[in-house]
Amino acid sequence: MTPFSRILRTDWFGPLIIVILAVVVIRAFSPQFLSPLNIQVLLLAIAVNALIAYAQMMIIAIGQMNLSVGAIGGLAAISFAGMMEVWGIPAPLAAALALLIGLLCGFVNGVMIAVTGISAFVITLATLAIYKGINLGITEAQPFYGIPANVKAFGNGSLFNLIPLIALPTLVAAVGLWFLLFRLPAGRFILAVGGNEHAAQLSGIKVGRTITLAHAISGFLAAGAGILVVARVQVGQPSIGDDWLILSFAAPVIGGAILTGGHVSVAATTLGVVIVALITQALVLFNIDPFLVQVVMGGLILVAVGINRLRETRMQALKRSV
Amino acid sequence: MTSHDVSHGSNGPISTPAPSSGAPSSGAPAQLSPLRRFLLTNEFGLILLIVLFAVLFAVTTRGFTTPFSLFTLGRSAAVNIMIGLSMMAVIVTGGLSLAVGAIGVCAAMFLGYLIQSLGMPWPLAILAAIAMGAALGFINGFAVVRTGLHSFIITLATMSIFFGVMVFLTRAEAFRGLPPVFADFGKMKFATYFSPLLLVTLAAALGLGWLYRYSVLGREMLAAGARPEAAELSGIRVGRMIIYCHMLSGALAALAALMLVARNGAAIPSMAGQLGQDWLLPAFLGPVLGGTLLNGGRAAVLGTCLGAFLVTMLSSGLLLMRVGEFWVQSFLGLLLLLAVLMDKLRRSYLARRNLV
Repeated sequence: MTPFSRILRTDWFGPLIIVILAVVVIRAFSPQFLSPLNIQVLLLAIAVNALIAYAQMMIIAIGQMNLSVGAIGGLAAISFAGMMEVWGIPAPLAAALALLIGLLCGFVNGVMIAVTGISAFVITLATLAIYKGINLGITEAQPFYGIPANVKAFGNGSLFNLIPLIALPTLVAAVGLWFLLFRLPAGRFILAVGGNEHAAQLSGIKVGRTITLAHAISGFLAAGAGILVVARVQVGQPSIGDDWLILSFAAPVIGGAILTGGHVSVAATTLGVVIVALITQALVLFNIDPFLVQVVMGGLILVAVGINRLRETRMQALKRSV
Repeated sequence: MTSHDVSHGSNGPISTPAPSSGAPSSGAPAQLSPLRRFLLTNEFGLILLIVLFAVLFAVTTRGFTTPFSLFTLGRSAAVNIMIGLSMMAVIVTGGLSLAVGAIGVCAAMFLGYLIQSLGMPWPLAILAAIAMGAALGFINGFAVVRTGLHSFIITLATMSIFFGVMVFLTRAEAFRGLPPVFADFGKMKFATYFSPLLLVTLAAALGLGWLYRYSVLGREMLAAGARPEAAELSGIRVGRMIIYCHMLSGALAALAALMLVARNGAAIPSMAGQLGQDWLLPAFLGPVLGGTLLNGGRAAVLGTCLGAFLVTMLSSGLLLMRVGEFWVQSFLGLLLLLAVLMDKLRRSYLARRNLV
């Protein structure tokens, strides 16, 4: 196999081509598209959405689904804002505690699924309601407005007037996840369990522990996304996370993640987020109705799963012929 | 996401004997008297719980047994049961539909458009709205069968598409100029406390019960859900059955939304929340509490009705007990967890005793 054909077969190659094409086309129609301000706006959206997508990607990696990503993110967001406003806890400590809450929520999901063997869909549907209910019970649907100045500065700040500070935690998370999934035993176990749970168990992997780990990481990432949203919009709104469900699946699927598990890519998922952000921007730049964003997202998911399906069958045919 | 992903304990009563690990002997299940058999069903457990909580709420809260409270309870139960039945119709195939809420809202808004903008007479518009629900269900079913992908991801995408198109076309504005028949039907009371909406739901439930028990079509749907390969070999067109199930689900979702229109007196785009997600919890609570197997092949119509009724009663009772309306959602989530755990325990108990 030549190096070039190997690149062709990677997950990130297709999305990368689409991103480059999209940038060129949009730039051709709208000169202000690549202005520093617009790039910053794009990166802000990508930074938050990438964490949401990673949270779902970890669960797709083990061949399950997590409906409670948005509920965990929302609960962490209002805990973060609430702890700072009501108890006056300093921002870094509040962020750490909120991340811990997210980790715990994910851990609970994972333990319930691993111990009972009930499908992840039902368990996370139930915990979605529980976490969202706790969120509403605490806030009574009222936002927390008392966000400290340093958090606001973090949310508004940028490096060289180009890269928002909010993008830095996302970058760390992306590199960390890549290292975990492709360089550490724990990550390899996650992918092995997703690929074939039975075979993983027979080869001595502790399946329950691996499932729990994946869910805990997913909760941690969702909480991170919630905190970043609070820093960005500068209000602790109880409705944070309500609209994450479609998005969380769209990006990994566009990035070629296979929903039966065992096959995900951090780079391609990130490119999936970029594609979604570019399309949303294009709709705004070309004055297309913002209501159509939902339609486009749904259409993207359908197209992406269709393409993944084709790739999957072709790969299998290729393997068989070899 | 293959069907093993949504596994749900061992097999149900009408499928093959459960692969029980600790069974003393395999073979025919132990003979039970019909009464004892009934006492071990999900349905009996639900009836017991309903009676228990009804007594608890009647004793501890003021106003639970007033005619008005019973009327609103019946009205909400009618809608929730219908939503549950709509999901059940898809779960029968071993799949699920995240799009029930989106389909319902689309059908209701279509009704509003037909009446208010086109001046269509309302009986015709109701039929057209239900047909709209079935048509959207057809799209789901067709996509699932044609692509061979799990219905979860298909309906995740279509829920976004349906809802987005609806919001785009209606500009997110409600249709409030509906003829008074709708609001009148929603407010109508029999004997001061009985809502006629319950009769609609009852009729739908009886129709579904007949379908799954006595009609060839219903039996073929169940067979296609239980063992697709076996069903295919015995001449059932599995793909077509799956499409029919999705269409049925769409029509029932439309019916549930029309009942909400009657209750609100208007067709409102936000009546099922963002993308229709607010229906997801009630949609799954009913069937799961009622013992519908998530991997398909069994439809517990009575159980779904009882389950949805229990959920509605619990949420209105909790509101009356002043638990705080915001916490109710958490309780419903806990209830779903408890229900699936209990069901799991009950099934493994029955399997161990070789009673199934």
